[in-house]
Amino acid sequence: MNRREILRRVAFGAVVIAVAAAGLWAYFHYVYYAGPTIAWKRGGKDYELLSPRNLIIAAVGAPFFVWMIGRSLADLPWPQRIISVILRIGFVTLLAFGLARLARTATTQKVCTVFLVDVSESVPDAAIADARAEIQKAIDQRPKDGLIRVITFSARPRVVPMADDATTAPALERHDAIERRERKEKADGKKLGADAATDISSALQLAYGLYPAGYLRRGVIFTDGVQTDGDLLAEANRAREFGVKLYTETYKRPVPGEVALRELRVPDKVRVGEPFELHADIFASRAQKAKATLKQGEAINGLDGVRTLDLKAGENDVTFKSVVRVAGEVTYALDLTDIEEDRFKENNHYTVTAAVPGRPAVLYVEGNTRRASYLASALSAQEFDVDVREPRELPSSLRELERYDFLILSDTPADAVSLTQQDAVESYVRDLGGGFLFAGGENGYGLGGWYHTTIERILPVRMDSEKKKDEPGVAMVLIIDRSGSMTGPKLEMAKAAAKATADTLEGDDMLEVIAFDTSPTKVVKMTSAKYRARIQNDIARIQAGGGTEIFSALDSGYQSLSITRARKKHIILLTDGEAPQGGLRELSQQIAAEGMTLTTVGLGADVDANLLRNMSDLGGGRYYGVSDPSQLPRVFTKETELVSRSAAVEEYFQPRVVAPADFLRGIDMGSSPFLHGYVATKMKPAPAQEILESEIGEPILARWHVGLGWSLAWTSDVKNLWAVEWLKWPGYGQFWGQLVREHMRQKKRQQFDMRAEIDPATGHLKASIDAIGGDDKFENGLDAKFFIKGPQPSQEAKTLDMKQTAPGRYEIDFPLDRYGSFLLHAALSKPVDDGRGGIKMAQVAESYGHVTNPYPREYLALAPDAVTLARAAEITGGKLDPQGFKEVFDPAGQTIVYHMDLWKWFVGAAIALYLLDLLMRRMRLFDRKKTVRPSKAATA
Amino acid sequence: MIFAGLPFATLATIFGAAAAVMVGLYILKLRRRVVAVPFSPLWQKILRDKEATSLFSKLKRLLSLLLQLALLALLVLALGDPRAAATLIKGRNVVVLVDASASMQATDVSPNRLAVAKDEVKRLIRGMGGADRMLIAQMDAAITPMGPMSGDTSELERAVDSVKATDARADWPRALRFATDTLRNVDNGEIVVVSDGNLGEATDSSGPVHLGDVKLSYMPVGKAKDNVAITQFSVRRYPLDKSRYEVMLEVKNTSPDPADVELTLLGDGMLVDLTKLRLKPGERLPRFYPNLSGASRTLEAKLAVVGDTKDALPADDHAYALLPERRRAKVLVVSTGDTYLEAALLLDEYLDVTSATPLEYATKYAQKTNTFDTIVFDAATPAELPRTNALYLDPRGPGSPFKIDKELSEPGFDKIDRKHPIVRFTALDQVNIAHGHSFKLEPGDKVIGASEGGGPILVAGTRGGHKMVAMGFDIRESDLPLRVAWPVLLLNTINFFTDEDASYLSSFRTGDVWRIPVGQGPTQATLKLPGGQEQPVPVHEGRAVFLGQRAGFYDLELPATPDQKPGASGADLGAAGNSVHFAANLLDDTESTIAPQEKLTVDGKEAGAVSAFHVGVRREIWIYLLFIAIAITALEWITYHRRITV
Repeated sequence: MNRREILRRVAFGAVVIAVAAAGLWAYFHYVYYAGPTIAWKRGGKDYELLSPRNLIIAAVGAPFFVWMIGRSLADLPWPQRIISVILRIGFVTLLAFGLARLARTATTQKVCTVFLVDVSESVPDAAIADARAEIQKAIDQRPKDGLIRVITFSARPRVVPMADDATTAPALERHDAIERRERKEKADGKKLGADAATDISSALQLAYGLYPAGYLRRGVIFTDGVQTDGDLLAEANRAREFGVKLYTETYKRPVPGEVALRELRVPDKVRVGEPFELHADIFASRAQKAKATLKQGEAINGLDGVRTLDLKAGENDVTFKSVVRVAGEVTYALDLTDIEEDRFKENNHYTVTAAVPGRPAVLYVEGNTRRASYLASALSAQEFDVDVREPRELPSSLRELERYDFLILSDTPADAVSLTQQDAVESYVRDLGGGFLFAGGENGYGLGGWYHTTIERILPVRMDSEKKKDEPGVAMVLIIDRSGSMTGPKLEMAKAAAKATADTLEGDDMLEVIAFDTSPTKVVKMTSAKYRARIQNDIARIQAGGGTEIFSALDSGYQSLSITRARKKHIILLTDGEAPQGGLRELSQQIAAEGMTLTTVGLGADVDANLLRNMSDLGGGRYYGVSDPSQLPRVFTKETELVSRSAAVEEYFQPRVVAPADFLRGIDMGSSPFLHGYVATKMKPAPAQEILESEIGEPILARWHVGLGWSLAWTSDVKNLWAVEWLKWPGYGQFWGQLVREHMRQKKRQQFDMRAEIDPATGHLKASIDAIGGDDKFENGLDAKFFIKGPQPSQEAKTLDMKQTAPGRYEIDFPLDRYGSFLLHAALSKPVDDGRGGIKMAQVAESYGHVTNPYPREYLALAPDAVTLARAAEITGGKLDPQGFKEVFDPAGQTIVYHMDLWKWFVGAAIALYLLDLLMRRMRLFDRKKTVRPSKAATA
Repeated sequence: MIFAGLPFATLATIFGAAAAVMVGLYILKLRRRVVAVPFSPLWQKILRDKEATSLFSKLKRLLSLLLQLALLALLVLALGDPRAAATLIKGRNVVVLVDASASMQATDVSPNRLAVAKDEVKRLIRGMGGADRMLIAQMDAAITPMGPMSGDTSELERAVDSVKATDARADWPRALRFATDTLRNVDNGEIVVVSDGNLGEATDSSGPVHLGDVKLSYMPVGKAKDNVAITQFSVRRYPLDKSRYEVMLEVKNTSPDPADVELTLLGDGMLVDLTKLRLKPGERLPRFYPNLSGASRTLEAKLAVVGDTKDALPADDHAYALLPERRRAKVLVVSTGDTYLEAALLLDEYLDVTSATPLEYATKYAQKTNTFDTIVFDAATPAELPRTNALYLDPRGPGSPFKIDKELSEPGFDKIDRKHPIVRFTALDQVNIAHGHSFKLEPGDKVIGASEGGGPILVAGTRGGHKMVAMGFDIRESDLPLRVAWPVLLLNTINFFTDEDASYLSSFRTGDVWRIPVGQGPTQATLKLPGGQEQPVPVHEGRAVFLGQRAGFYDLELPATPDQKPGASGADLGAAGNSVHFAANLLDDTESTIAPQEKLTVDGKEAGAVSAFHVGVRREIWIYLLFIAIAITALEWITYHRRITV
């Protein structure tokens, strides 16, 4: 092999590689990546070159052909050669255009119709058969170029295989039948309950994928319009955008017999021991009987368990009575059985769960705890937790009081309750919304020295009740020790006590003040109490000094009273030291014998307590041993109250109902036994509300709102003194139970309204809470935890976070894939300072709700929704129940634009041109007869 | 081999005819030119050559003819658009789910994720095997197949081109269910997901999606994580003082770096507030603007990044809200005089109250009841049902639409439907009533308040297409008017009639089905989208239904009806004349978290990478046929003119 040969081979190889590389490059450049397209518009039509780069072929080909013709050896005249090259260039250009894939928009009126057939559980077999007959009719009537596709749908859609030229309608099967066959199960398997649903919009979405390009799109939906998922109307909008004209046909088979339990409702608030009604919404397609069994938990509902219902056609509202005995979650299940004609068994069962709050707690503070058992046991029988305590055990902190829903303070003297405790009671009522009942007795109201106290301020009654006009006044003598030992605060407090007495007395009462040391001095001679200022001036002038000589002072007082005319005559003796006892006992007896009373007050530890107690016993009064002088004013006013008010009215009477109150419902007050007495008080102005009154119109039971809570005054007692006959009355427990229940603290925490529902379109549980504070403010920035428990009775719990979506609004939205009843609870908390410089979350509010997802909505037995179907059809330009299929298949002047590839035309034209080119070469068209002159070369 | 173009018979005919012409042309003897050659030895050479090569020459002719016929055959075959017969037998059936949700508008890849995704899908189409078929579906809040299952690449490419981005989230379980439905009973099914992978759980209310034998492939798109988003924006009027409102705005930094942003709040296009914030990585920061008042109707929040902060998704930096407009409700009170009623109605300055005695009503107003939004009949019952919403207080007359069941003594609100809007913020439990009566219910009536054992005393229902509420007692025979609950109940009822609910929120969310309250009457309305396009939407039960996928302000034009109340179209959102305005926003955490996911797991199976789409064989055989034809033409041209063939 010589060098030239080698060079030639190498060159050849190089050329082959180059050609291959060029081919590969061309392939990727022109074929694989078509590159950008070129589009233009002409005469209302859009033209587009999909692979415009292929036009380069023509551009490269033309010079090549021209160049070759210049080197041609063919025996053709020049004109013919020129024509030939033009034809060949034309041929290649046409092919290049074909390869460049010129396309233009074209219009057509061919129609493709997709039939969507509802084969869901709610559709009877006969209706599906009707749909198939309709499809057969459509096949018979379809135009030649028309296409028909069929989809069946229930929860999910399926395409029914069908040839383009089929002449018979395909079989329509229920999906559960198909699935069973797919799973190779026997036909007697149970129904696919959980999957029962109708989703028309998914079926439509599947249909969009069945329309070939270049066909007008039509859809015919056979359905009863009951959709459980998705939204046909929203989908119709999209169908319209997609160019699908929808026709809807409702199934026209008569509704078969059906009884469906649509809803079972429990009141929002169910309380332990309180009867309530459950409502059942039952739909019956025709009048018939059914047996209803209501279960509370596992057991048949006690009050109203099994019943035969006479259902009328349409909606029935059936009520069941029930009562919850134990707090906690209660699930009710209602079953309908023994129904003559019923299509679905699935919808005859419904469960609902309610959270019943625990027994309310009552704190019962009784001054005389030995007698506390009557009310305590009555309230316990009324499903309350009762905590009986002595007055000193009354909590003085809100934290402790917060545990109780209601507070009863009964027959307790004011001095047994400290100011802190009283303040705690006030803010318990005002701020925590607690309920408070102040009950009377010997130590109640004025008798207990409650005048001018915090407790009086929050009660709806006043304790300074006016005496009746015809009653004579009180004459009172205060005998105050001003011996040397009284110097200082003792005397000052004694003077203050005397002044307070003057204040407490009514205008027509009489008062004398005697200060004594070794001898008595009448500081104030027997004077009408209306001259208070003068009396108090005189009292202020009392000076300490000297020894202690009681007898003469007491006698002086006794003498003054003897000559004074008054209904009640009373002496208060205050001393702080020992004194000669001579004659005091006798004088005391004398005083009592004259119808006067004597109360003694011993101040400090040095007093002869025995003597003083003796004297007061003999004198028909009381003895007070006071160690702290600051107690004196309280003791004096209490004494004054006790005496001057004659506040205890010990008469037999039957309380009269003045104003109706909820808690009196069901209690026959007319049959209530007599009460044996009460403490006289006076109503405060409205909004204080008098509910019961005595025969002379004095309040027995009154109430009003204090802040968030209720404050009630019961001026009689609650035990075996005045209310002794009530204890035997059957209404006793009910009366107090209902009273407490109505006025007790309603919520432990602020409760916000929760709305929870199952979104029909998505099956999601949507819950929202509106957190709006009392002052019209939105509660923002709370951390909201959402707890869902269920389906009952399973205690499966899930915790989710709610999201704040707007001022004061918290929402959650998640798929609920189980059936049954669910309890919902939300806890809203807020970051607060934990006191150690850190932040902790404190719960500020809560919210409760429940939701039931009883069974697939498919079984709700909803009436066919023709309106939705009509609207959906209208919006796409179709209509409900079209008259025959002419209308459906009729393009109605509508055309559809599709892309028409033109390359075939170019290839066809190229073939024609090629034949012409061949003709041009095979036939001599020019200088046929002409003899050509010898060429120059030949001549040469 | 099948022909997708002209049928075989036609092709054969064309070929036969054209071949006949060709052969005919070849049979024709080409007339030779007369050339005078003056040199005889040349003649001899020619004659000798001719004899020697006549066989070869014949052969060359035949070769030429064959070349021509081959060329013709190629062209005719191309016309038939031949396809591999395998198309019909076996091959993959692929559903491509192209994520078109809001996060796909992220610009971290150029020009944006969706465009890149579409390019990827086009690559897939070009890589389809001869027997493969594909369906392109757009996945957003709904699922939209862009065409039928097809093997036609240009049709598929057109389908890809028609995928458009939306401002909504992706409904992943729905898309998967669609894909599995489409691939049901089909061999070699495959789902290809082209997405950034922020799709959430594939679970809906029917439970988790099961894929069965269908293969799932995932083609991730996108690379950046940097995004700052407005994740909540809403405005709400205070429940009692409706002249003031509060705005909530929440921003979230979804990127792993701190972000500096500038937050702008605009009211009617005017600046209301401008704040600069620094957000920690992953921080969510809610901001509240309480006690705003003023005439603003539209509110917009804009977020802009400052400094080095990057924000790859502009779609979530702009949010819209519309302040629920307060409209004067026209109220007609038909009463013989009730101070409590009149006093309560004075409390709301937005009520336009007209009072009339029953006689005046009969003569003056009975014919134009539809000019009022609400009529309150206080112990009066006209014979004819009013053509508007009405509240009946103590209706006893024969014309009452609520029939009396029985008389009650001392009824009470023992059962209250606390969820009903008209008893919001009221405490009716303790109301004391001297006398009253319960109502007989008609289907559809809702019991709002009922007395223990006595039956319903507060009922809401629909009569003649209008909302009606009836209360079964004279308020003057109760202590209700002395309670705060009375005016609240009354105003709640009017709000209930006019749909001016305190729970109204200022915008819809894209990707939800919107039910826009428009009032009774129209069956269709025209919706003007933020882009300016208009489209009709159906109205059902007083609400226009629409699946919205774009953020921005919308106008809903209602057709005028003869029965139209002036200025009282639907009376809700921002109703003005015959149109309703509302806003829509994306506000979706998942969409704003744009960091692409590398893995996608469904039904316990991790999606594999897309494979076997790199064959790179373009499936239209005709293209290759034409290329060969062109090559043969060139060859034939050379051989003919160089007289290799003749």
